[in-house]
Amino acid sequence: MAAVGDLKEWQGGDAPSHERAAEPKDARSWQTEPAGDNPFAQITDVVVRIVETPKPPRAWYIALAISLSWLSLFAMSVGLLVWNGIGIWGNMNPIGWAWDIVNFVFWVGIGHAGTLISAILFLLRQNWRTAINRAAEAMTIFAVICALMFPALHIGRPWLPYWMLPIPNQMDMWPQFRSPLDWDVFAVSTYFTVSLTFWFMGLIPDFATIRDRAPTNTRRFVYGLLAMGWRGSSRQWHRYERAYLILAALSTPLVLSVHSVVSFDFATAQLPGWHATIFPPYFVAGAIFSGFAMVATLLIPAREFFGLKSIIELRHLELMMKIILATGTMVGYAYAMEFFIAWYSASPYEQFTFINRAFGPYAWAYWAMVSCNVIFPQLFWFKKVRTNLGAMMVICVLVNVGMWFERFVIIATSLARDFLPGAWGYFVPTIFDFTTFLGTFGLFFTLFLLFCRYLPMVATAEVKAIHPAAHGH
Amino acid sequence: MSDSGETPAVVKEPEQVHGLLAEYTTPQELIEAARRVRDAGYSRWDTFSPFPVHGIDPAMGIRRTRLPWIVFCAGLTGGSLALFFQWWTSTVDYPWIVSGKPFWSVPANIPITFEVTVLFSALTCFFSMLLLNKLPLPSHPLDRHRRFARSTDDRFFVLIQASDPKFDRRETARLLDSTSPRHVETVMEDNVTPARMPRGIVFALLIVGSAATVPFALAVLGRYSTSEQPRVHIVPDMDSQEKFKAQRKNPFFADGRSMRADVTGTVAHGELRDDDHFYVGKVNGAFAKTFPEQVEISLHTMERGREKFGIYCSPCHGADGAGQGMVHQRARALLQGTWVPPTDLHQENLLYKPVGELFDNISRGIRNMPPYARQIDTADRWAVVLYLRALQRSRSAKLEDVPESERGGLK
Amino acid sequence: MSHEAETHQLEDNITVDSEASRLSQISLGVGAVALAGAVLLGLGDLAKLQRAYLVAFMYVLSVALGVLWFVAIQHLTNAKWSVVVRRVAEILANNMILIGVLSLGVVGPMLAGSTDLYAWLDHERVHADHILHHKAAYLNVPFFTVRWLVYFGFWIWLGRRFFKMSVQQDKDGGDHISKALQRTSAPAMIVFALTLTFCAFDLIMSLDATWFSTMFGVYYFAGCVLAGYSSLALALMWVQKTGRLATSVTQEHYHDIGKMMFAFTVFWAYIGFSQFMLIWYADIPEETHWYHWRFEGGWKVVSAMLLGLHFVVPFFGLMSRHVKRNKRSLAFWAIWILAVHYVDLFWLIYPTGQGTVPFGLVDVLCMVGVLGLFVGVSARRARGVNLIPTGDPRLADSLAFENA
Repeated sequence: MAAVGDLKEWQGGDAPSHERAAEPKDARSWQTEPAGDNPFAQITDVVVRIVETPKPPRAWYIALAISLSWLSLFAMSVGLLVWNGIGIWGNMNPIGWAWDIVNFVFWVGIGHAGTLISAILFLLRQNWRTAINRAAEAMTIFAVICALMFPALHIGRPWLPYWMLPIPNQMDMWPQFRSPLDWDVFAVSTYFTVSLTFWFMGLIPDFATIRDRAPTNTRRFVYGLLAMGWRGSSRQWHRYERAYLILAALSTPLVLSVHSVVSFDFATAQLPGWHATIFPPYFVAGAIFSGFAMVATLLIPAREFFGLKSIIELRHLELMMKIILATGTMVGYAYAMEFFIAWYSASPYEQFTFINRAFGPYAWAYWAMVSCNVIFPQLFWFKKVRTNLGAMMVICVLVNVGMWFERFVIIATSLARDFLPGAWGYFVPTIFDFTTFLGTFGLFFTLFLLFCRYLPMVATAEVKAIHPAAHGH
Repeated sequence: MSDSGETPAVVKEPEQVHGLLAEYTTPQELIEAARRVRDAGYSRWDTFSPFPVHGIDPAMGIRRTRLPWIVFCAGLTGGSLALFFQWWTSTVDYPWIVSGKPFWSVPANIPITFEVTVLFSALTCFFSMLLLNKLPLPSHPLDRHRRFARSTDDRFFVLIQASDPKFDRRETARLLDSTSPRHVETVMEDNVTPARMPRGIVFALLIVGSAATVPFALAVLGRYSTSEQPRVHIVPDMDSQEKFKAQRKNPFFADGRSMRADVTGTVAHGELRDDDHFYVGKVNGAFAKTFPEQVEISLHTMERGREKFGIYCSPCHGADGAGQGMVHQRARALLQGTWVPPTDLHQENLLYKPVGELFDNISRGIRNMPPYARQIDTADRWAVVLYLRALQRSRSAKLEDVPESERGGLK
Repeated sequence: MSHEAETHQLEDNITVDSEASRLSQISLGVGAVALAGAVLLGLGDLAKLQRAYLVAFMYVLSVALGVLWFVAIQHLTNAKWSVVVRRVAEILANNMILIGVLSLGVVGPMLAGSTDLYAWLDHERVHADHILHHKAAYLNVPFFTVRWLVYFGFWIWLGRRFFKMSVQQDKDGGDHISKALQRTSAPAMIVFALTLTFCAFDLIMSLDATWFSTMFGVYYFAGCVLAGYSSLALALMWVQKTGRLATSVTQEHYHDIGKMMFAFTVFWAYIGFSQFMLIWYADIPEETHWYHWRFEGGWKVVSAMLLGLHFVVPFFGLMSRHVKRNKRSLAFWAIWILAVHYVDLFWLIYPTGQGTVPFGLVDVLCMVGVLGLFVGVSARRARGVNLIPTGDPRLADSLAFENA
């Protein structure tokens, strides 16, 4: 943070000056001077201006109003849940895991795209990621927050979640380390911590940019605090770049491991339809699939309303659609494997499970899943569809719907029709299942809209670094 | 970038020079300038840019950071710690069997070990980066230069510090001018910021740090102490449960009882017990002289009988069945005048009592002996009777009872 | 991280005719002799010979599929760094006809009625066993033959297409060939995934009549990629030893290949661990017996070798960037990975429930034979062809490529 003091004194230098008119001509006023054809200044302006404008676009207010209303729905649902218990949901025997776990896996999966864009595309030297990685990483943080709601709330006594952590306690007990559910605790909390760290580290130079242009003392102090005194020294950049690379190299196996551990929740069981060795990479591919779709769903409107079209270009979106097509195909491969091996295994239980999925009581969910995950994304083979914003939005939303249904199909159909016909059942969600889930969207979008308003949506330092004008020697 | 403010805030001395700052508009110019400065042999200098300029490291002669090694060590530490902790809690501190898996299930411990390795590595990476970069850095002489604010926007700077041994106001300025900068200015020392951290902040940090150890101390205390109170819990959990317990009033039923008798005319599964021989010990109304067919006369049954006898019968009757069990000895020691000694099971009349009657005595009790039907399973009661017969035989055996092949060893 | 199209000049001599001829003659000779020796030695124990040959064949298939995948993914992602190394990979990947011929060593006996390896070929057992009987709709000779023809038909076609069109681009130049190959790669990847998976099922997974794993195709794939990258690195180093491509293929390219070797070492371990841990955890006997076979007797040692030498050691070994940028150390690790890849396939194919580990001379001879033929034919195909795709529009970027 700059030396705390009067703004005018900060304008020091050789001549103490209090008026704009006496300023050296080259100093850029953060409010009025246009960037001209200086590419770096243009990038700064386009992005930081959003944070600096006193009033965001009207669409932002409308969107915030809607998301806040959903958020209050969430608060109400959580309050009722904590007071009354899990009974307000539709969970029953034999489907003890229902919307709570489906939503958990759904949100965690969405979060993975952010890390993929940040870390994996970085390692693969895909420079186009710099346009979208900040927003994607933010999306990851918010999605993981939404995801963490569910394990915390579904345990029945949500005031005791610390029992899952290895803290010495009066009961002399430790968490059950051999359980995939405990692996989940470590995996998702590590993922959250590391993603937050990575995101924050990326933000430091941009906070410094905002600090140095801040028009008010308060803003300068707050952003200065966040920037921790960053000044862009090359020696600092050197260590920063190494740290960034190391975090990217760490995040890559981390993101693969997190959704693999989530898949272990199911695959370690003996339930047909759950116990398949391909679950870990299948889930990871599915997570990236849904995550990219969500990133696109967020960024297509955001770039319109916030004027970021020059930075988040159509070709970036097209590349994202290709990745959606690729990961969707991987998910399709996994479906084919499960189906084939279920037949090949000669296990009547396995075979029944898959026939039941397609033709049993949940057939409607199954076919929704197949059409949204396998059929509609095939439209992205066609360039016309990949580059049409409307089509992109529709298909991306459908992908997320399909991925939600995939988790629902896996969880509910296998539980509803397991080994013993006497134990079969059918799950029906209650209104509170809906409101809790919808409420998490409220939480997600509220956080994302606040992010758009107060934090730089694009990693300006990174975008500048890959700009052709930046290449030295 | 070193923070070299020495004098405290109060005294206003003539300002010292901190260094010379040159400004450039393109990264190419910056790199060129950096090379010149490096070649001129300066050591206390730095360049500034809004983004990492490719090629600036060799141009400045920046050596590779040791950050990766620090992270590697942290990762190894984290991984070992996680593996050790899982091993210790599962095999040493509180071993318990979970779905038949060994106490130390290495495959099951891998996911957490991996995650903790990554966690330690990542956090160490971030905080080491901050520390090595000397962040957070609250203030710096450059903050007072408005033009420098563009270092995070679109301009590039070179700063050569006055503390560099080669620094000379004119020579250095000439060197910088030769790199055709946009602008050069002198940076003065910042005499506003105190050199050391304010004592208030130090105290606050100490207090917060000490306070932060309290929850851990409490946790450790809780772990290693015992208490008669139930665990600390804010929410009453299931302390009061809305259910009916035995012996409580239940307004739902006419008779007000919570405990219900069997519905008249019904018999629960497995409760029919129509085999009198086995369940009651009687055949045709008289005590059975033989063991029921459900009882297998074998060493295995006898061992079971011995086990149950040892648990239920020996406290009074003694391990040898002679009636001198510990309860009896205790009663004698306490000089209980009204105490009736437990029966010596080797008495003659007991040798000839039918097994069914012995079974009945155990089941329904006899004289002062309470009934044991509730505590000992039917089959086990018969096993006890079988063992009892063996016990009796041990004191009343004749030579003819010993098989011929064994008789030689008796003399 | 910039990709500056600097003025890196292409070398003049980028063909390797005479050395390739020599290598080819030596390799083919050694290969043929070794195979003949293996057959002679193995005539006494045909079951063992078939198994030894199967390991060797799946090994060389994995190398070929690995490089084929490499070429496809470079086209699919429009990669710039790899242009300089891609021709060598294309040459290696164009060998599918040879692999198809070599596959006759496995398929021939099957069609001739040998039941030494595959229980599902034994009609009596199939009738008697409920599970085999069920699988007979898939595991039968006619359907298998059709599938085998499809696998090799596709792989031969794809390998040839990449090679031919790339060579064509040397003459024509222009972007349209690159774009066409990119368009081919996308659907080709899907068919590739399916053919590789089902080939692995057919030839390896079905060795154990009752076992199954949805992950198996992915596991074999991980091995293929590792073998492919390692072979590519060694092939490039051989070319550079002859003096060609000395300045075009730089430390940077080796660094990237090394990074993929490292990444797929980790990926292989991840896939292997997932498959193992899930089967271990659920503890269902029809799945666990497969692993029991691999933990009994001498196989315990082999399994430990696999964990230690296929994952732990190369993980730490390939971590440092200096190792990946130094040709000698990278060559060491490439050979190491190729060696443990053999152990992996041996471990997959050999166990039959007896605790013995019957590694013998026949195995060595089969491997030398098959690899000799592969190297020999590859070297022959390398003659008369530019070792760099000179017509590729991204060539300049690749020559100037620098790692961060």
